[in-house]
Amino acid sequence: MPHDPIELLLGFTLRSSERVDGDAIVVERLEKRYANGTEAVRGISFRVRAGEVFGLLGPNGAGKSTTMGMLGTLVRPTSGRAIVAGHDVAREPKLVRKRIGFAMQEVGVDDLATGSELLVLHGRLHGLSRREAARRAAILLDVFAMQDVANGRLSEYSGGMRRRVDLASALIHLPDVVFLDEPTEGLDPHGRSAVWDALERLNDALGMTVVLTTHYMEEADRLCDRIVIVDHGSIVAQGAPSDLKRNLGASDSVTLEDVYLHTTGRQLEVAA
Amino acid sequence: MSSATWLLTRRTLIQFPRNPMVLGFSVAPVLMMFVVFGALFESVKYLPGFPTDNYFEYLAPAAVLMTTVPGIANAAVGLATDIQSRYLHKLLTMPVSIGAIMAGRLLADGMRLFVQAGAVLVLAIALGSQIASGFAGALLMLLIGALFGIVTFGVLTANLALKTKDPQAVQAIFPMAFLLIFLTTAYQTEAQVPSGVLRAVMAVNPTEYVLRAMRDLMLTGFEWDSIGVAFAVIAGLALTGLPLTIRNYRSVYS
Repeated sequence: MPHDPIELLLGFTLRSSERVDGDAIVVERLEKRYANGTEAVRGISFRVRAGEVFGLLGPNGAGKSTTMGMLGTLVRPTSGRAIVAGHDVAREPKLVRKRIGFAMQEVGVDDLATGSELLVLHGRLHGLSRREAARRAAILLDVFAMQDVANGRLSEYSGGMRRRVDLASALIHLPDVVFLDEPTEGLDPHGRSAVWDALERLNDALGMTVVLTTHYMEEADRLCDRIVIVDHGSIVAQGAPSDLKRNLGASDSVTLEDVYLHTTGRQLEVAA
Repeated sequence: MSSATWLLTRRTLIQFPRNPMVLGFSVAPVLMMFVVFGALFESVKYLPGFPTDNYFEYLAPAAVLMTTVPGIANAAVGLATDIQSRYLHKLLTMPVSIGAIMAGRLLADGMRLFVQAGAVLVLAIALGSQIASGFAGALLMLLIGALFGIVTFGVLTANLALKTKDPQAVQAIFPMAFLLIFLTTAYQTEAQVPSGVLRAVMAVNPTEYVLRAMRDLMLTGFEWDSIGVAFAVIAGLALTGLPLTIRNYRSVYS
């Protein structure tokens, strides 16, 4: 009988035949122009392979969250196409929502609920039985070191705890694709490291595709197999972090932050 | 009811006791007003043609509406809170229809109001009233009151919440609900209303037609004509307001 919570979660893993093969996400000339005329995303294209951890980096206002919103079916694209987990986000949003998890930049939790109730409700809204939802909720609360506060009201949680429970709720149905918008924003270094560890283990064990935005270059370097850097709604660089660093210079001292500064010409907000 | 609607209804039902102020303040003032208004205007019953010799019997249907119509705005306050806290956006990333999210919230508050308005009828009975249509009629009266609250003030305040995303803006519109009820025969018969203008306003106020059915249930029994009119008014308002609300839900994010 396994004791590691991740191994326990494996007991619920979808059969591999039900997982997406090949490209988990295909984005082609995707654009978003808001009613006030703002062009948030200007015809970007990229692909994310199944099981990959993919980073969307860029300054504030670059279009990262709008892109995530379009891929997560919250924002309707103005033009272009996006296929997530085999379904078109504009034409089949309900099918997309069945196969994705989404943790937003601004944590969206229900303050009157307890952590456990929130996870069980989200599991059930994704079609899990009460028993299965409760079991997964307990495991995920363990994964994110929150079992002690499982029955506490979310209004009493710290900012970091709320972010972790939000992350857990995005994973309760073991989605094919998880969108994490600034998943470690506001966490202390210990909490950030714990989330990185959990995400790596979940990605390894369950083969989930993870798309994340972050201001932390260290986070992108550690977690992401590939990244795109977005600025003013357009992609200015994309590739594996190691390739992007190599392309910038032969020196071992070149960091992802150097790549970011070189491509966007801006300081990191988090560093500033 | 879809399973998602029930899950979201249950979510709100579970949380009601966690906010006891809402439970208390959504019914206590109505109970007090019922007693005070009943005492203040009791002499109206001595006027010729007044349908009952117990003024509380006459007033009880209006008190039910005074519970259900303003009380349903709590659903919109909850909705605005969900928008402010970004929880609505979280729900919108799940395979849950907008209709289920809206219905879950409105049904839970409708059930709460059904029980709270029931307390008004219990008080009316304690004050000597009789319900001509009996227990079944009382349940029907509460159902009509709760449904009318949902399709009028519930829909109005939900749209206000979706447009303003501000719980305080929703709370600011509460007095409108009382205006809707005051411009009816809630406190006196039509013949006793002194102004022709007021009578004309009452004639186009949908609340009046719902109130008549409820008063018939209270004073005379099952008058199916007036009950039919009440349900037609409720259906008409639902068909007008609910699609608009769903459209406004869709506009919350993009």
